[in-house]
Amino acid sequence: GPAKMEPGLPKNYLMGVFRHFAKTKVAPDVYPVLKEIMDKFFDRLAEDLEAYALHAKRKTIEVEDVELLLKRQGHVNDKVPVEVLIEKYLPMEYRKLLIPIATSGNVVIPKQRR
Amino acid sequence: MSVDTDAAQQRLKAAVHFTVGRMCHSLGEDHRRTFSRQVIAAIAETTFRQCDIFAKDLEAFARHAKRSTVSSEDVKLAARRSTALSIFIQNKIEELKNQEQRDLKKKNTGKRKSRDTEEDSRE
Repeated sequence: GPAKMEPGLPKNYLMGVFRHFAKTKVAPDVYPVLKEIMDKFFDRLAEDLEAYALHAKRKTIEVEDVELLLKRQGHVNDKVPVEVLIEKYLPMEYRKLLIPIATSGNVVIPKQRR
Repeated sequence: MSVDTDAAQQRLKAAVHFTVGRMCHSLGEDHRRTFSRQVIAAIAETTFRQCDIFAKDLEAFARHAKRSTVSSEDVKLAARRSTALSIFIQNKIEELKNQEQRDLKKKNTGKRKSRDTEEDSRE
């Protein structure tokens, strides 16, 4: 039958990202702890985003809610705008979705936010 | 930064320092402890910087809700992370709202009344 889908990031992806930023070998027993932390992180993330959307009297979480969260978490500040983080951490295909890029024919996609 | 804004900042800091000193003094009397001058200065500086953070957060929250005026909703959102603080702020806001309504009803004696209740709540 179909495998039961556990919510959360795949094990090898999570460990790969962790190894990349830790810049060292990572013992496999780190995974359960990391998973627990990430689950808590996502729980809190969801709560915060819900509060921010409700604050703006919306039921849908939008880009600006995530931007506000990044600001509150201290990742975005006066010196580091959100675009810098996008360019630093996201692969090209996601960057294209988030930051307007001029294509041939000088059509800019996507439309500038706000 | 111009001399004027520098002077204004100095005065603000002095005001915060004074209030912190008073609060530390009354707190110290309750617990039979004293605060050294350095501790009071450190708390004053921390308070000043924390206000800077609060101001920026509140501004961001108000803008997020497409308002240019910071409201009690924004303050609630800022205090959301700490349960105890959140409950305290919630109660305080309710108290203030009730008081406002009472003041509106008794406009003539309103001012004296609000000062009385303020003193009550402080004790």
